[in-house]
Amino acid sequence: MNFSTIGFKVEDERAYISLGENAEKSLTTFSEKSLLELKDIIVQVEQLAKEKKIKSMIVHSVKKDCFLAGMDVSVINSLDSFDRAQEGSKAGQDIFNRIEDLPIDTIACIDGVCVGGGLEFALSCRYIFVSDNPKTRLGLPEVKLGVLPGFGGTYRLPRRVGTPNALDLMLTGKMIKAQKAQRMGLADLVTGKECLLAAALNPQRFKKKKSFSQKLSSFVQHLGFVQKIIFNKAKEKVVETTKGFYPAPLKIIELMELNQKSFRKSSLLREAKSFAELSQTIQSKSLQNIFFIHDNAKKAFKDEVAPIERSAVLGAGTMGGGIAWLLAKNGEHPYMKDISEEGLNLGLQQAAKNFGAALKRKKITRDQFLRSMHSILPTLNYDGFKSVDMVVEAVVENMDVKKKVFAELESNVREDCIITSNTSSLSVGEMSTALQKPERFVGLHFFNPVHKMPLVEIITHEKTSLEATARLFQWVLKSNKVPVVVKDGPGFLVNRILLPFLNEASYLLHEGVDLNLIEEAALQFGMPMGPFRLMDEIGIDVVIKAGKILEDGLGKRVATCPLVHQLKDFGLLGKKDNKGFYIYDEKGKVLELNPLIKEKYRSRKTLDETTIQMRMILPMINEAARILDEGLVDSAATVDLALVFGIGFPPFRGGLLKYADREGLSRLTEVLVGFSQDIDELRFYPCDYLEKLSIEKKSFYSGN
Amino acid sequence: MKAVYIVKGLRTPCVKAGTQFKDIPAPFLATNLVRNLLDRAGIKNDEVDEVIFGNTGTPAKYPNIARVIALEAGLDLKTDSYSVHRNCASGLEALSQAYLKIASGRSQIVVAGGTENMSQMPLMFGEKLKEIFLGLAFSKTLGQRIQHILKLRLQHLKPVIALEQGLTDPFCNINMGMTAELLARRFGITRTEQDTVALTSHQRAVAATKAGFFKDEILPMPMGKKLEKLCAEDIGPRDNSSLEKLGKMKPYFDRKTGTVTVANACPITDGAAACLLVSEDVVEKYGLKPMAKIIDYHFHGNSPEQMGIAPLFAMEGVLARAGMKLSDMDLIELNEAFAAQVLACQKIAKNETLAKEIGLKGALGEIRDDILNVNGSGIALGHPVGATGTRIVVSLMHELKRRGKKYGMATLCIGGGQGGAMIIENLS
Repeated sequence: MNFSTIGFKVEDERAYISLGENAEKSLTTFSEKSLLELKDIIVQVEQLAKEKKIKSMIVHSVKKDCFLAGMDVSVINSLDSFDRAQEGSKAGQDIFNRIEDLPIDTIACIDGVCVGGGLEFALSCRYIFVSDNPKTRLGLPEVKLGVLPGFGGTYRLPRRVGTPNALDLMLTGKMIKAQKAQRMGLADLVTGKECLLAAALNPQRFKKKKSFSQKLSSFVQHLGFVQKIIFNKAKEKVVETTKGFYPAPLKIIELMELNQKSFRKSSLLREAKSFAELSQTIQSKSLQNIFFIHDNAKKAFKDEVAPIERSAVLGAGTMGGGIAWLLAKNGEHPYMKDISEEGLNLGLQQAAKNFGAALKRKKITRDQFLRSMHSILPTLNYDGFKSVDMVVEAVVENMDVKKKVFAELESNVREDCIITSNTSSLSVGEMSTALQKPERFVGLHFFNPVHKMPLVEIITHEKTSLEATARLFQWVLKSNKVPVVVKDGPGFLVNRILLPFLNEASYLLHEGVDLNLIEEAALQFGMPMGPFRLMDEIGIDVVIKAGKILEDGLGKRVATCPLVHQLKDFGLLGKKDNKGFYIYDEKGKVLELNPLIKEKYRSRKTLDETTIQMRMILPMINEAARILDEGLVDSAATVDLALVFGIGFPPFRGGLLKYADREGLSRLTEVLVGFSQDIDELRFYPCDYLEKLSIEKKSFYSGN
Repeated sequence: MKAVYIVKGLRTPCVKAGTQFKDIPAPFLATNLVRNLLDRAGIKNDEVDEVIFGNTGTPAKYPNIARVIALEAGLDLKTDSYSVHRNCASGLEALSQAYLKIASGRSQIVVAGGTENMSQMPLMFGEKLKEIFLGLAFSKTLGQRIQHILKLRLQHLKPVIALEQGLTDPFCNINMGMTAELLARRFGITRTEQDTVALTSHQRAVAATKAGFFKDEILPMPMGKKLEKLCAEDIGPRDNSSLEKLGKMKPYFDRKTGTVTVANACPITDGAAACLLVSEDVVEKYGLKPMAKIIDYHFHGNSPEQMGIAPLFAMEGVLARAGMKLSDMDLIELNEAFAAQVLACQKIAKNETLAKEIGLKGALGEIRDDILNVNGSGIALGHPVGATGTRIVVSLMHELKRRGKKYGMATLCIGGGQGGAMIIENLS
């Protein structure tokens, strides 16, 4: 019989199931069709086993570096009702039950990515053999999509690796390597990928006997009160990290607690039900949206371009050092140039801090630390710059200085070298005029601190060449960061949307709303930090400076709230100075609310939480609509991607504009009109594009 | 033979052992030098034929240190790389190898240098302890194990200092410092003479640093355990040295009647140096402006006890090969391993009788103070053993350029009784 995505053959009394046949994508995923195929195959295997024609079944993949990457996310996305989701889950469970019940040896030979449904497949086999290929990764990442493993994973994993390990894998969705899998008892054998199939011929040899300590720990784990402690601890940690915004992790804990003493049938019934419930939540749909827009964004530039192999950063300091760290981590042997040795030392300190933290967490070895640090080439001149493919400029935010630097730089690099500026606010178009070949010039806005913030804005101006943009785009992807391409304009994308949020929070405080109430409202919305904490983090002076640039470019409606200016007049600059809205200790920990703020801005009125949230969020949506209308970015999805990865806009909301779409644009527009009548017309009046969408009953995602 | 050019040479600061470079393994002292040399010349990772490095400590972890340097610097995997060992002249041997390879037409582009981290020279345990450990590893029963453990004595734990062993000649069992004492005795070199050489070395090195003469040859390197601060200048030269202070030091090797102190000998040092050497074709192809051309080199042996005067034989040899006279040299770098040994060389070179007595064909001529070690040498800057041979060529090259002079000679004595010398011509 000929199957299209799964191969099946019987050879030497062994059934071989090969995954990844005829698959074009680099990662094999299961569709509904392939599940059906698998079922047909398993039915045949059952028959062969019954007739004693085979003595084992071996599952492997013909795809390089991928065993099976689970169900296609679009399949999960298409489960539009509770019933359909439950049926889907049950169908998968049935197949894996059949595999588990086979009276013969079943062996999963895993080489490469094995996640989600792929790992659940492997779990239903008696033996799991794993290759030591560095690309091999095992995990159950369903939680990241707001659901849980629905093909028996919640039942089988804890029985194989124990409750604590199973919880860790399922709650974090993290990927583990072969050695870790062996340590926790998930893999029976770890060996070279070339040896997997040969080992599978005689699997009993590799069945691991449980050691005394494993037996002991398994015994202890099964004690009732120990179980209780484990689950309570897990719950506490989940509530602490997710603040209760995400239902999936709590559901996983609940399910596993209920299932620990149940039999397979009832356990799997519960699993299917929980899976179906979760799949219909807004949180899950939102997380899926983020997954799709993130995944799609990676495909923006398809044409092959010359990779950036060597690079340099101009201007060391903290930011420059952070960038040097990234370049070094990429293996680009970067030059780090500054005009003073002190500057270079600052840069080295930052890079050493980042690599040192990885060393401390044992992510890298001392040898790797030495290698990475020594790959950074500190210099006070341009010697060697002819070898670099890209330069990131990170000198002071001053147009004249930057222009001078670019003119000087251009004569010291090759013709095809891409020149970028890590500016957070200055006009990229104007900077480009300092260059003889402006087409090679692009803005490259990293967010501080570089090692923590995933977003990078790629800012193009009128003359930027497509090639330069595409090369940078691929480079940002290579750096494990998230690129968004934005046309030049005041505040670019993220800051232009973020500032109205901060500004409106300041107006609320100015009006006499209690500061804690405002912070709490933002946190309850899911923002990672309240607006005032965030302003302290950014620096009050920086907020004012960025606000000025927005005001100059966009007019009075975005003028910085007088309260922020007052703060500066009080000499409060934020965290870097240990005092802003809050008081900080030496290490930057919040000690208390600044008494001066408490005294100056006494709480005079109360507003309900939703109104506060709307006051802060709607101006962001309004500004985003303007950006779309001006054509600065290609789609609403790009805005959402940028905000999730740039300022940590809550992923469970699905993104700012996805959230707006779901709430209904006409309703939001009405609220905005109301605000504009009651509070300030200039600040709140909905822009033409938003009005147009709401009149035409369209959404941002379908708007263009 | 084809012409051989040195495009550029670079060195790290020379740093007193046990201080700022003590946590940096020897290969990592050199990787940045290699990277910078190639980048400046615009030579790509897969275009280098060979990487040759001298090193004497040979860290157990890096048996072929040149290979580690090549790979850590990001060079292509195909790059041929090997390490050379000729004690104090390992760095000069690396350059000589590169010279031969290019001159014979076998190679076109070679990076050659030397690196040494003397801070990381290990303490070792003796053979007896090793035997006990081996016995333990091979014993099968508990009884056997106990038997082996019972053999352990406290004295077995006394470490062997690798550095001390390395600085003692195995053939005549004399410490390097003692060879300098012997020269001082034989040629009547006084304590004051030696201290004056040391003082001059420090004064010249300090003046050169202050004037920024080293800026072009030193590549600043991150230092310390965390590597978060740059080291841009040599750590060793003293600006507060005086004859009076030097005179107070006690003789170290012959403690009662000796004249050699730790202050008129070179200190233990960490550092590295490297040069990019290419053929004439490469110079044309890449449009390079080489700093210097290698005229020739020579190595020569003598008795281990008198290794300090061996440079004279090497000088005689290389001058003969080049068909030149000592007076043709505009600058001379004669590494100061010991002041006594430099003074002995100077004394013999101009004295026909002495020259013949030690076995030279005749006097070489005067090694003038004003062209010898003009920016200080081993006593002030230090002697990172495997690197010095390259370091002196790099310094010589840059000083010839600064002065606009033509010919220079770099020479040094080699533990075990050898001397090495190289003549270069300034092209910049």
